[in-house]
Amino acid sequence: MSEYHNVKFEREQETIPHRGIDRRDFLKLSGFTFAGALLGGCQAPKVDKAIPFLVKPEEITPGLSTFYATTCGGCNASCGIITKNRDGRPIKIEGNPSHPISQGGLCAVGQAHLLGLYDSHRLKNPTMLGKETVWNDIDSAIKNTLKEIQTNNGAVRFLSNTISSPTQRNTIAKFLSGFSNAQHIEYDALSVSAILDAHEKTHGTRVLPHYRFDKTEVIVSVDADFLGTWISPVEFTKDYHKGKILNGNNSKFSFHAQIEANVSLTGSNADKRISISPNAYKNFLYDLTTTIEGGKSSIAEVNELARKLLSAKGKSLVVCGVNDIELQLLSNYINHLLSNYGNTIDIETPSKQYRGNDTELQKLISEITEGKISALFIYNGNPLFDIPEGNALKKHIEAIPLSISFSERSDETSSATTFICPEHHSLESWNENEVRAGIYSLSQPVLQPLRNTRSLIESLNAWMDTPKTAYDAIRDEWKNSVFTMQKKENDFQKFWDKCVHDGFAEVESGKNTVQEFSKQSLQNISRSSETTAMALILYPKISIREGKHAHNPWLQELPDPITKIVWDNYVSLSKKTAEHLSVKENDVVEITAQISNERRTLKLPTHIQQGMCDNVVAVALGYGRKGTERFTNIGPEWFEAKPTVNQGELVGKNAAVFLQFVNGSISYNLLQCSVSKTKEQYRLAATQEYHSLQMPEHLVPAGSERRPIIQETTFGAYIQDNSAGSFSKHEYESIWPEEHQYNNHHWGMAIDLTKCTGCSGCVIGCQSENNIPCVGKDEIARNREMTWIRIDRYFQEEENTFSVAFQPMMCHHCNNAPCETVCPVLATVHNEEGLNQQIYNRCVGTRYCSNNCPYKVRRFNWFDYEHGDEMQKLVLNPDVVVRERGVMEKCSFCIQRIQEAKIIAKSNGVALKDGDIQPACQQSCPANAIVFGDMNDKNSELSKRMNDKRYYKVLEEVGTRPAVGYMTLVRNSDEVNNV
Amino acid sequence: MLLKSPITTVFLVVGLLLSILIFYNSYSVNYRIPGNNEGYEPVQPIAYSHRLHAGELGIPCLSCHFGAEKSRNAGVPSASVCMNCHKFVTALFANVRAEDELAEKEKRKPQRIISSELKKIYSSLALNDELLPNPSLKQTPIEWKKVYNVPDFVYFDHRPHVNAGVQCQTCHGAVETMERIRQVGNLSMGWCVNCHRDVNKNGVNNKKVYASTDCTTCHY
Amino acid sequence: MSEVYSILREPLIGGNKTYNDVTNDVCSPLERKPTIAWWFAFTISFTMLIAGVISVTYLLTTGIGTWGLNNTIGWAFDITNFVFWIGIGHAGTLISAILFLFRQKWRTSVNRSAEAMTIFAVICAGIFPIIHMGRPWLAFFVIPYPNERGPLWVNFRSPLVWDMFAISTYFTISFVFWYVGLIPDLATIRDRAQSHFKRKIFGFLSFGWNGSNRTWSHYEKIYLLLAGLATPLVVSVHTIVSWDFATSVIPGWHTTIFPPYFVAGAVFSGFAMVLTLMLIVRKVLRFEEYITLHHVESMCKIIIATGGIVSMAYGTEYFIALYSGNEYEKFTFINRALGPYSWSYWIMVSCNVISPQLFWFRKIRRNVALVFLISIFINIGMWFERFVIITTSLTRDYLPASWDSYSPTSIEIATLVGSFGLFLTLFLLFARFLPMIAIGEVKGVLSYGRKNNGEHL
Repeated sequence: MSEYHNVKFEREQETIPHRGIDRRDFLKLSGFTFAGALLGGCQAPKVDKAIPFLVKPEEITPGLSTFYATTCGGCNASCGIITKNRDGRPIKIEGNPSHPISQGGLCAVGQAHLLGLYDSHRLKNPTMLGKETVWNDIDSAIKNTLKEIQTNNGAVRFLSNTISSPTQRNTIAKFLSGFSNAQHIEYDALSVSAILDAHEKTHGTRVLPHYRFDKTEVIVSVDADFLGTWISPVEFTKDYHKGKILNGNNSKFSFHAQIEANVSLTGSNADKRISISPNAYKNFLYDLTTTIEGGKSSIAEVNELARKLLSAKGKSLVVCGVNDIELQLLSNYINHLLSNYGNTIDIETPSKQYRGNDTELQKLISEITEGKISALFIYNGNPLFDIPEGNALKKHIEAIPLSISFSERSDETSSATTFICPEHHSLESWNENEVRAGIYSLSQPVLQPLRNTRSLIESLNAWMDTPKTAYDAIRDEWKNSVFTMQKKENDFQKFWDKCVHDGFAEVESGKNTVQEFSKQSLQNISRSSETTAMALILYPKISIREGKHAHNPWLQELPDPITKIVWDNYVSLSKKTAEHLSVKENDVVEITAQISNERRTLKLPTHIQQGMCDNVVAVALGYGRKGTERFTNIGPEWFEAKPTVNQGELVGKNAAVFLQFVNGSISYNLLQCSVSKTKEQYRLAATQEYHSLQMPEHLVPAGSERRPIIQETTFGAYIQDNSAGSFSKHEYESIWPEEHQYNNHHWGMAIDLTKCTGCSGCVIGCQSENNIPCVGKDEIARNREMTWIRIDRYFQEEENTFSVAFQPMMCHHCNNAPCETVCPVLATVHNEEGLNQQIYNRCVGTRYCSNNCPYKVRRFNWFDYEHGDEMQKLVLNPDVVVRERGVMEKCSFCIQRIQEAKIIAKSNGVALKDGDIQPACQQSCPANAIVFGDMNDKNSELSKRMNDKRYYKVLEEVGTRPAVGYMTLVRNSDEVNNV
Repeated sequence: MLLKSPITTVFLVVGLLLSILIFYNSYSVNYRIPGNNEGYEPVQPIAYSHRLHAGELGIPCLSCHFGAEKSRNAGVPSASVCMNCHKFVTALFANVRAEDELAEKEKRKPQRIISSELKKIYSSLALNDELLPNPSLKQTPIEWKKVYNVPDFVYFDHRPHVNAGVQCQTCHGAVETMERIRQVGNLSMGWCVNCHRDVNKNGVNNKKVYASTDCTTCHY
Repeated sequence: MSEVYSILREPLIGGNKTYNDVTNDVCSPLERKPTIAWWFAFTISFTMLIAGVISVTYLLTTGIGTWGLNNTIGWAFDITNFVFWIGIGHAGTLISAILFLFRQKWRTSVNRSAEAMTIFAVICAGIFPIIHMGRPWLAFFVIPYPNERGPLWVNFRSPLVWDMFAISTYFTISFVFWYVGLIPDLATIRDRAQSHFKRKIFGFLSFGWNGSNRTWSHYEKIYLLLAGLATPLVVSVHTIVSWDFATSVIPGWHTTIFPPYFVAGAVFSGFAMVLTLMLIVRKVLRFEEYITLHHVESMCKIIIATGGIVSMAYGTEYFIALYSGNEYEKFTFINRALGPYSWSYWIMVSCNVISPQLFWFRKIRRNVALVFLISIFINIGMWFERFVIITTSLTRDYLPASWDSYSPTSIEIATLVGSFGLFLTLFLLFARFLPMIAIGEVKGVLSYGRKNNGEHL
């Protein structure tokens, strides 16, 4: 110890004097620091400009939306749409409830084609030999060449997709009449030509029937994806569900059998799905025919189907999606035998949606290749991309003296033509469609053309030196024809105004003359020999279809309902086939086929698809479109990010190389091909990794092999007991205080799994309503999709049955929300109307809420996402915040719509009515699967559903008490006939 | 010790004053915490006087800001709205009268007097002195400075407030007394919420109302 | 003078030290130039730290997307590291506070560095809850402060808020406790200091300590009080951390035994880390006589005890899961052991359950090399424990459609490395500039197990 003390005494004097900073200095310093900090904190107010109209257009009030009824230009189905305009630009497309065709529904493509309007890659000006120019120059140039052609009687051909606008047809006819050798050829990339040809043979009229799914009790569909992509999916979905009504004891529930090789959307909704190779389609129909005629088939299923069809004579329907005349003749014959013509098939007031003629197309192709054509006009269609041998035509078309494309962008075809006279986007122009005999759907421009474009009618009129605006042309046409076909209104102006307001006109058109059914065309159809060769199916995807909208990132990123894969096309094949070829998911395979004695090959990654027929491979059309290379940099950029498409490559590959003409129509099924494995690998990105409700075998806890997520039953069982298939109800004493009182409204939702077809229209609707960004392939592969509503898809495969169940999944707005308790900053809290609010500007992004969400429906902004280029940003909804990086977001039940509706009701001093508020997902659902409403309103549609015995809640046992419920999925799989 | 020396103190004080000076010039409002622009009173492109129009002439707010009733935004009136009156009124009455008298004396037709501020409207509409469209001129929109500016993540809607009978002055202050519009109230969340709480108790001019304090009333 | 050693009680400090020796031994490392070994270690750990700084900067500028997380798995490395580091801290507090109250004299040679370790660990831990936020610049939202928003407070129901309180308290108390303990020794350094500058600094740091009896008695009082204050923290902090998971609804998280389980685990991992560090320190700084095999052995015993509790907890989890009849719970635990992430589970079991059992043997307890090795194993095992609980539970929860897998990005790994870099850098600086052993306290127990002047025991 001594030592220690000595030290102390030595040092003491030195240690006592004060050190460094004393209190006063400290205070002084901190004083100044504080003052400095204060100054630093101060800031000048952000100067924002408010620039009013100089002269205000009287229909526009800043901050208010205006709505216009028009017609969808997404595909030939021509559904009725309503556009929501804000400050002079459309920001949302929705189904037009009063429209006779679509009846308020709208598919994913229809809703997404709004984004195409703001596509910065659309042509800004007409181009001559690839150089931009002005209309006057291009017109004079074209007119001069046309004169020469007129003088030396050159052959003029006008090639287009089906044109269902009488005005356009007449204008074209008038234009072509000026030439001695002229013809208008129509074709469709997704051709149904064989159906029309078959009816020409059997009924002497080349029309596309109007299929009445609403009148059917038994549907047999051979490879016709009528709920997904075939002819008029929205219309058919609406009608289909009119035949499937579950209402206790007065239910009626049609039986639908799907015969197909690939798993289509329709197949996954079928009550019975028979998986056979395309090689066997013909024989199947043939056997069905003979059996119905009274014979007997070796296959039990055929006999069974025949029995059911016969039992529902006049109330049954056989549709065939195979574009082959023989199969179509057979199905016509069957429908004739079942006396469905005049009942479930209407050819007296036929559909006008498709009238393409493959035989004429084939003729034209040979003409072009032989160089006989001196002028070729190509209107909305991309033949070089989507017809057989299309690519080979390039050099021939370039050789044609006068080739004109009306394409709105530079695509495979238009880049080969001399002139491009860009047509307006369908939302920019006046147009009309005769969708069905007597039903005219009108298109009005909802904004000024964004580009220096011109409508076809105006172009043709300009070249005929009879300048006329599309508006006048159509108005005159209606005055002279449509107006005269109706009796109700005798003042044209009134009639016209009403039509423009409604977006359509329903008039009395003369009945189409039909001959008696003639059988002799079926004489030389015989059973073909069974082959077991590898077959190739070329099918359109829900989102991309024939490729018309391949430039639309919303659609490219829309998960395929079945495979859940985005941004690519791929080779689907069954487990067995995969084992046989010893390929695994993502292995690149090479498909080889002999087409017109020439060897064609295509390399694509493999996707192993449950439920597919063995020895069949399926590839989606519409991929590998020119212009998709621009998606290389879509999505966030950081050093581990992979590009959506590799530099200079395209999204997917074009499978049209395998198209060919068979029996005079384009064949999408290739009955003979070979598939070989390559060394390469290619990663496909899917939004779902585990595909079944069955737990993996080696992890199964006894007694809980299947997760109780989807209630499922058969129609038979349902008739016996309306609550059939229900899970055991879980009634828990809540340890929570009843803290939430819902005195005013209590919003909720009920989704009918029987109705939901999985078409994914709701996903796009939500994306467009709520400013949800596209995140690119790599982010999806990392399972970071941003969509607020996703459609969970579960496969169920027992030894010989395969079924698919769809379950739309969005925020459940739980009354006991697990997310709410854990958020440290009150960024997600319950509101007095039962909504689970997410407050972006309060969120600090701990992701705790998302972890604690049993439904995993919350979405985190991992990066600052691009919302497209400057042009595409115009599509953003001004009523919804664009979320910044690091913020959690999720379904809000479209709170902006709720608030708007409440405010309007309040202003008008009226109470909210049931149905005043429709979230984006509900509004356009073609199947009416989604119902949103007020649980406190006992008469609301929602309350009705909640009192239904089928109503249940997912994960009720967790005690979250969600506001979203589901209705048991009912299938007619035990094939009960209607009661 | 350096800190002990008075020089340091003096130096720091001077520095502080200097910086205050510098900051002050760059600001049109006094210092307050970021985002709070209470008292913001920018100079507008046209010296429009609310005192004159709303105060002396007693023009009701909604006759120009008609948007407030039916839309989310009250809206800055378009020049065409101004022209409803200023087609005829081109200057202060006094000035016009003076010109007339002068003309009386000088025995000549009185010429049209156009006040310098109104001239700006006419020129923005590309009108000549006879107030007729002048094709050679180009229409140029008027760029007003926004005074009441809420952040992007706030969805304020005029309709429910106006229709509930809330006086414009409740939030915008006695506009009819202001030459130039000045921001009254700091537009902080508390400022909004406390009023909502208050009216739920006391109502709006003795009328019972319900103003929700849910987050999603303003944030979505 | 002649020494007689007790045959019953092994002295705590070997080598027949005098007070003078103690002072010299402890202070000499601070007074001589840093060794090559130190520079070597420092370079490595500092490089690791830089890696961490770079990765975090990239994270903050680019977004959480630079981590391997996704819609299903919202937490992985970030919170795993957080819990791991918090856990490490606990040994220090236990040694300095609880063992002090229980008058465990052997603690004196290790408590200083153990406490230092605690503080550094808490610093490392504290970083993660902040950087794991999507918008860390708004982290202050988590603190309840009067504001202009109505006002708008924090969600007092959220365990993350409790965490904020727990960790800040924990850091403050531990730091004060550690610093108070340092003061007498700082004075010693001050007094031994040759350079004027050094004397000034340490003079300031030691608050003018004059070793008078009055000062000493004040010191003893405050030390006792702080020990009392720190003791509940040993239990509370990790209990609260465990509530982050226990209060959730996710199978595998939603478990009532978490608090004791986590606390035991924390102490377990903490002592492993103490051993890892101490064994190096005693070798490099030649502290063999201060940190004797006896110390090592005692710590090994604590590890067996806590390790036992942890293994017990593992077992209980399974029993409850299978006994509960909750199918989601059952599945989660089967999935842990046999699912895609079973490898991490088995690493955890072998490191935390099997390896400590070796400490039942005295020979192994006293074999420095082996103890060191096992302590490393336990550190690894405990990190994986947190990974298993947090990540694998998330990968497969309720809806099969949202099941997903997780793999870390380079950024995440760099961040983990960086946190170790920070920890080691701080520790090395500590070893360089502050006395690693509480001189005063060690002097107090110098006589333990030995008597002067050959008096009979």
